Amino acid sequence: MNFKNLFVYWRTVLTVAEITLRHQWNDSFILFAILVQPMIIAVLALFMLRGLGGDYAMFVVVGSGLTGLWSSLLFISGNSINAERWQGTLESLVAIPTPFEVIIFGKNLANVVQSLISMTSSYLLAALLFGYTLKMVEPLLFLGSVLLSVFAFISFGLVIAPLFIMYRGIQQWQNAMEFPVYILAGFLFPIALLPNWTTPISYILPPYWAARALHETSTGAGDVQKVILAWGLMLIFSVIDLFIASKLFKVMLYKARVDATLETE
Amino acid sequence: MKTIANNLRLFWQGTMLSYIALFAWLRPTTYIASKILMPLAQILFFTFLGSYASGGSNVDFYVIGNAIQITAVSGIFGVTMSIGGDRWAGTLPYLFGTPANRLMMFFGRAFMHIIDGALGVVIALMWGALLFGVDFSQTNMSALGLTILVTTISTCGLGLLMGCLSLITANVMFVNNTVYFLLLIFSGANVALDTLPNWMQAFSQILPLTRGIASARILIAGGSFSQVAPMLMSEIGIGLIYGWLGYMLFKWFELQAKRKGTLETV
Repeated sequence: MNFKNLFVYWRTVLTVAEITLRHQWNDSFILFAILVQPMIIAVLALFMLRGLGGDYAMFVVVGSGLTGLWSSLLFISGNSINAERWQGTLESLVAIPTPFEVIIFGKNLANVVQSLISMTSSYLLAALLFGYTLKMVEPLLFLGSVLLSVFAFISFGLVIAPLFIMYRGIQQWQNAMEFPVYILAGFLFPIALLPNWTTPISYILPPYWAARALHETSTGAGDVQKVILAWGLMLIFSVIDLFIASKLFKVMLYKARVDATLETE
Repeated sequence: MKTIANNLRLFWQGTMLSYIALFAWLRPTTYIASKILMPLAQILFFTFLGSYASGGSNVDFYVIGNAIQITAVSGIFGVTMSIGGDRWAGTLPYLFGTPANRLMMFFGRAFMHIIDGALGVVIALMWGALLFGVDFSQTNMSALGLTILVTTISTCGLGLLMGCLSLITANVMFVNNTVYFLLLIFSGANVALDTLPNWMQAFSQILPLTRGIASARILIAGGSFSQVAPMLMSEIGIGLIYGWLGYMLFKWFELQAKRKGTLETV
């Protein structure tokens, strides 16, 4: 991906994001993924973890919000190119002068930002319905973590989307990819509970570093160095993801324009 | 006699064709992802979460609860897609044009999902034994088998009702997903029911799965069939009520569709 394009076409990015938001608010599945499912998981986790004491409610709010972010990334951002194919607009989009990845970046920006609603709704649920007093320990660091998490999730989404359209064999495993990331990224419980061999897998997942940064800044469990480490790794993984995405988009556009097919099957 | 034979043939053909059509469309890899790996991942997630909550002391509670709840993948999603599939594929007008026995046609859509769902629970329990060491040495296996079957039938009853909703609303996947996830709370799969507020406990009693999960836990802990028999009777009764409500809705939908000349009310 050419970073320069994001600045040159910033107006396009924002317009695509706005149209995507307007379009998606009519989709009941998206409402389920970003609102209903995270809230149900939050209710479950609040009941299950209530014996832990301490700041578990804030931990649950952030963790269940992250489940909404991941599910949205997997099912909505992952299918952001496929959705154009289903609607019959993909051919037009790859033919116009605006770089295709700029459009998909705008769509992913909308998806990830709207998914933050899942954290807000979980917060309201815990505060209003369950009556918890929720205190954000490091609000500024938390805000920084949110911004970097959004960037990391968008970048990750830009890798998934072309993979799902070019290799439908991978896309078919989509349903099985939701809970494993909840587990490996430590959204609602520490990965120390998992077998040791899974730890390296967690470490290469951007959602894991997002979860660490958000949990540590919201509950105050970690020190600044740990937060900065998580931020740094999110940035590194984002750059790697964007590099991989740029290669994948090239292959995909080649298939679209030269081979006249977006399917390898 | 001939009528009975015809109806049984209709039941069997309907059940086989709708199931084959569903998974021909879904593809085998989607089946493995949705019916084997997704349930395993769900069991792992809630068991680790439960283990974290209880300090690792009550793992069986979560493994068994989620393994039995897995039947809802077939019972809710599978049955709904089999019923709704006729509308999406455009075959519903032909079905309503035939003189075929509606009861056979309707309940036939759930039959394969009962077998599939029960098999899914068996696989899930095997994962539980393999990965979390759930002990079945004290278990009355035939009673557990019956419990799995009854719970699956009961859940498919709810699925039949949900399936009929797919004939009158475009948002059925929203409804299905919501029901599936609500069952994770209200069925007692992950939270002991007696720790829930009273209104939640009362609501859980009118749902399928609740008594099935409780029965499975008792049986795996070494309980006898006589201890769980009354709960299983209630479980199957609840499932039949949901299934019957679904059938009534199906009949009403057919009546409305024919009267108003439309097969879509949305």
